[in-house]
Amino acid sequence: MMHPVTRLIVRTLVVAAAAAGLAGLAAAKPWWMRGIDSNENDFLPPDVAFRVSSSVDGNTVRVHWSIADGYYLYRQKMNIQAESPDLVLSSPTFPPGKLKSDPYLGTQEIFVQQVEGSASYTRTDGGAHPIEVKVAYQGCAEAGLCYPAITKVLFPGVNAPTPPATGHPWERTAILSGGLAFFLAGLLLKKGRRLDTPAT
Amino acid sequence: MKARAFRFAAAALLVLFGIWTGLRLNASRVSPAPPPAIVQVPAGEASPPGLRDEQPESESLPLPTIPEKLPDFTLGDRTGTPTPISTWRGKSLILNFWATWCAPCRREMPLLATLHATWAGRGIEVVGIAVDYRDKVVSFADELKIPYPLLIGEQDALDVATRLGVESPVFPFTVFTDGRGDVVTLFLGELHPPQADLILSMVVSLNANRISLQDARRRISDGLHDLRAKSGG
Repeated sequence: MMHPVTRLIVRTLVVAAAAAGLAGLAAAKPWWMRGIDSNENDFLPPDVAFRVSSSVDGNTVRVHWSIADGYYLYRQKMNIQAESPDLVLSSPTFPPGKLKSDPYLGTQEIFVQQVEGSASYTRTDGGAHPIEVKVAYQGCAEAGLCYPAITKVLFPGVNAPTPPATGHPWERTAILSGGLAFFLAGLLLKKGRRLDTPAT
Repeated sequence: MKARAFRFAAAALLVLFGIWTGLRLNASRVSPAPPPAIVQVPAGEASPPGLRDEQPESESLPLPTIPEKLPDFTLGDRTGTPTPISTWRGKSLILNFWATWCAPCRREMPLLATLHATWAGRGIEVVGIAVDYRDKVVSFADELKIPYPLLIGEQDALDVATRLGVESPVFPFTVFTDGRGDVVTLFLGELHPPQADLILSMVVSLNANRISLQDARRRISDGLHDLRAKSGG
């Protein structure tokens, strides 16, 4: 006879594993749903490959790029410009990049992982409007894909709204499955439980 | 006793399956791009500066709407003469979208030249579609002595890319069609010989009616997946 605790653990694991398996099957993508996008790839959208944020530090605007593994930005293509008319921005400075040799493009300076550029600023309106800068950057994936130059208008010093949490569909499935598994495990526990009631 | 052992074994198998599924799910989360072959480029300036387009950040990767048939379009050739893609009607096409500033685009050009030399007389034509300034493309093409036909455009070429499902430009990408004008596949990123050989073998089989379009796409999909697995990608 199996010990009640062991039986409970086994039943819980069975239910949880089955739920996870169902979740896995639900998340899998059969070939006939792939359509003609037959070269599945792991290329990231540019805003995920190159995450950009900005801040104000005294009289300096700082722009930070977080670069995904396997991706890089060209130093030569990076820029920070004043966008709001009241803003006067110095030439941006960037740290030295890593040298990358290309048989066709020659040696290029690139940034990997992360980089921060900065520029000092003065304002002609006494700060009546939020600081607005335009950043430009261009990069590629080492795996052989290049993104066109990207420009973005940023508002350093203005707290960006926190984006809503966007979970992947499988996360929701897993949470639901986990909840279901625990619910079923609870039912099993209740069913399998033997109360040590005194004999009457 | 046997029944208990069987239950244990079944439970263990299910647990292992659950763990394996969890690992797969987690792996798919770490690499969030798999479903679409097309990457959305939200904000950007196409190769010719000035096509600025500022949009909010997005992590969503909408599935591309790649047409079943190659759409009709017309772009200027090296001399500026408007050239409809139907010029090559009846031939299978390797339409390579590129730009002069794109390093992987340049890297794959020797392969495209080889494909042109190998296949041009056998019903498969390489056509480069440069999304860039005409003068830059022409001077670049002359310098590299690009042997295959080129069509050149700026916004009009971007529009063609959009009609092929590449909503915002990333380069290079290559569209393969069969002799009937069906889009067999759209390959995103730098093309290498094994991938080109695989796809073209399917195009040849399609043209010889030895395989259905759906089967060709499935085999290409599986074959590319295997090639990626072999290369560790």
